[in-house]
Amino acid sequence: MKQIITLKVNGDTHQVAVSPWHTLLEVLRDQLGLTGTKRSCGMGTCGVCTVIMDGKAILSCLTLAFECEGHEITTIEGISGEGTLHPIQKSFIENGAIQCGFCTPGIIMSAKALLDENPHPDDEQIREALSGTFCRCTGHIKTVEAVKKVSASYGKGKNDGE
Amino acid sequence: MVSRNDRYSVLGTRQPKLDAPLKATGRSQFTDDIILPGMLHGKIVRNSIPRGKILTIDTSKAEQLPGVKAVITHKDSNGMMVGPDQQLLCNETVNYVGDEIAAVAAVDEDTAAEAAELITVEYEPLQPLFSMEEAAAEGAPILHEYFQDNYADEIKIQFGDPDKAFSESEYIRVDTYTSHPTHNCFAEQHIAIADYSLPDKLVIWTPSQSATLIQNSLAQAFDISGSKVRILNLNTGGAFSGRGVARPHHFIAALLSRKAARPVKIICAADEEFLVCRSGGKNRFTFKTGVKKDGTLKVIEADFLHDCGAYIETQFIMLRIIGANLQLLYKLDAMRYRGKLVYTNNRPYFFHHGGGIVPMRFAFGTHLDRIAQDLGLDPVEIRLKNAVDKGYTTPGKVHFASCGLKECIKKASRKAGWKKKYGKLPSYRGIGIGCGVINSGGKTVFDHDTSGAFLKIGEDGKISLFTGLPDMGQGSHTTMAMIAAETLGISADDITVVSGDSDVDPIDTGAFGQRGTFTAGNAVKIACLDAKRQLVKTASKKLGVKPSALIFRDRKVYLKGTPEKAVPFEEVVYDTLHSLEGRYVMGRGFYNPPADPTDPTTFEGSGALAFSFGAQIAEVEVDPETGIVRLLKMTVAHDVGRAINPLAIEGQLDGQVFSAMSQTLFEECVMEKGQVLNASRLEYKLPRPFEVPEIAHIIVETNDPYGPFGAKEVGEGPIVCTSQAIANAVNNAIGYPITEFPITPERVLQALRQKSKGQRETP
Repeated sequence: MKQIITLKVNGDTHQVAVSPWHTLLEVLRDQLGLTGTKRSCGMGTCGVCTVIMDGKAILSCLTLAFECEGHEITTIEGISGEGTLHPIQKSFIENGAIQCGFCTPGIIMSAKALLDENPHPDDEQIREALSGTFCRCTGHIKTVEAVKKVSASYGKGKNDGE
Repeated sequence: MVSRNDRYSVLGTRQPKLDAPLKATGRSQFTDDIILPGMLHGKIVRNSIPRGKILTIDTSKAEQLPGVKAVITHKDSNGMMVGPDQQLLCNETVNYVGDEIAAVAAVDEDTAAEAAELITVEYEPLQPLFSMEEAAAEGAPILHEYFQDNYADEIKIQFGDPDKAFSESEYIRVDTYTSHPTHNCFAEQHIAIADYSLPDKLVIWTPSQSATLIQNSLAQAFDISGSKVRILNLNTGGAFSGRGVARPHHFIAALLSRKAARPVKIICAADEEFLVCRSGGKNRFTFKTGVKKDGTLKVIEADFLHDCGAYIETQFIMLRIIGANLQLLYKLDAMRYRGKLVYTNNRPYFFHHGGGIVPMRFAFGTHLDRIAQDLGLDPVEIRLKNAVDKGYTTPGKVHFASCGLKECIKKASRKAGWKKKYGKLPSYRGIGIGCGVINSGGKTVFDHDTSGAFLKIGEDGKISLFTGLPDMGQGSHTTMAMIAAETLGISADDITVVSGDSDVDPIDTGAFGQRGTFTAGNAVKIACLDAKRQLVKTASKKLGVKPSALIFRDRKVYLKGTPEKAVPFEEVVYDTLHSLEGRYVMGRGFYNPPADPTDPTTFEGSGALAFSFGAQIAEVEVDPETGIVRLLKMTVAHDVGRAINPLAIEGQLDGQVFSAMSQTLFEECVMEKGQVLNASRLEYKLPRPFEVPEIAHIIVETNDPYGPFGAKEVGEGPIVCTSQAIANAVNNAIGYPITEFPITPERVLQALRQKSKGQRETP
């Protein structure tokens, strides 16, 4: 039996009818049209569907939509403004950290959750934060480099995340 | 790092990918992001036994389930085949756990999955064969009845006089190597949307390496002309040699759509991926190599056995490219190669990233190190001594018009500090070298290797460039834009690359065979020169100078030596249109490498004009307690001919080092009775960010005479060097050779145990 729940996504409030087994990923993509969050393994093994809930990176394919009521959800669509890019997005573009682009939203959301909490992580912390997201193309070389570079620019005024 | 060449204003710049902003914001559309009006969801019913006869298929319960709009079996596919030996929907025999038997389309994924569960199949089991040894044994059941044995294909290649070369050799060594099944594991799963609701057009949305091949296969299967099949490949979430041809789900989606008269989407589940993806199979290589005492190679004799699984599909290609590649890297007097594909009841295999050449080069590269060791030679020296050069022609009549192999070996070993490290590292630390070669496109598989290109120039001087070459993330569309921008003297930002729609794009064989930069790049250059010729007329009249004295650069057109008197590019375009002639500038071109295809009987010649070369040095540390290998550093040199976009080249080098490292140390489908035991990304391990090495890049430029601006491939050349470098470094670290691939901790520990028991090396 479907039930109406209220979800707050990227600052907007949506009322959606969901079944108890519907995941956040399904609701984001199929009901809200937020297809920036990609669907891949569907079983929590690849991190492609990573979004941010209350500041933490979570796997939207393993999170039931019901659990998300009353929480702040941020997806890849919610971090860039009108015609402007988030500094992490800019850094990924400039440093060649994007290849096929399928995993990119998940990797960027993982990086954002890390940098929001810790703007100047060390190399090990970056690698740990990104280790939940699959990426076959870049070999995790330029993605780690892109996060390092953007974090180095944080606090210097021009490039701050928020 | 490559130094900028002042001759060029665009080539050699670190150009971020043109589509990266769309991908960074999640706005890039992949197939799963598409929702069509009335779209249904399909689910395939797969066979559950390794070999048997189908007795009954009962679909009645599924058909009665509310929400089900179409159910199909062999009755609907009407004997349709996918490949020479594979029924699309089986009704007689099944040959592996995963054969397609039926499919359903329903209003949502849950209903489709439920309906698929309701379809029952009864079988009479037959004796399955899971290993190449069983399949090759005397009296083994024949898996495909129209064959006399279980060899699906067999070839012999011989160049020169191997017997004479062996008799002249002063040292001969034989080694056997095994590599295990792998999985391509791309991020975007196998998916297709088919709309065949109107009989006059079949439209397929799918990620792909070649719209042309998928279009041709579907047209043939449905007996319609190619132009009635439209392939839409918006973006491709990785391919790694795994998305070259049409697969059963493409045909099944089309059949379901035709029956339900609505669009149908089929996406494979995570574990289904391991059945659908034709990844690398089990390989066995035996090399017998004859050399002089000073390390000069004389002759290689190779036996290659490949488990092709239940169906051959296009695996005959692999037999040929491995044999063809073997003769290319080192100077030889003669070569003999025997390759066989063996049918089993494992899932059908094909390629992993690097197309079979990765395990072959792993095997030969470590075999060569053992020869060097036996003769007391340094591994770098034996490679330099035998390396091919520019101008060299192999015994199989393959000619190298450019070659940076020696430069790659020298630069990589210098940068890695080889002389200071080799033989002088602390225990359980090791260093190793690997070298490789690969063709840049060519008529290696088909009778042509054509890419077309066209462009139109808008009134504002901005360009739409049309190409059929897919970009799976390697950045080929940006490379095409850079080649166009350099040719026309504008900026890559001025160009919109239009691609991914077979109704619009010119023909392109596809993104494989390392042909993108070389072949499609040449086509783009030719199309741009065609457009430029039309603009030259206007510009020479406007500036009152000879056409041949004009320079197009930095969005300006000027007389050579007087850039201060330039006219803007867009003004030339504007004047060409707003003239008496009213000329709208469009350029067109195609490129087919002017080389003879490989001779199908003698296998002489290569069909390719350009080859790229690489050398890599790996440094590792082995934990003798756990057997875990840590890859510390890779020094990677690659001859790209001309560096068009160093940023993208580095990305290619990184990605291929990662993928080869993964194949060498991590990836293995653990098989039991034809099934993959570790069929998930959690259990089928790839390296994580804290396991990847530091990578030093060395880009070598050799200016190939046939390449666009001298450029060659960087698509799969680097990956064929990596695994031998890592394997040689591991062997160097533990002082004992490993002959199985991937080098898992278990295999390292086994080698250490054998070493401590003082056993002789396995032959």
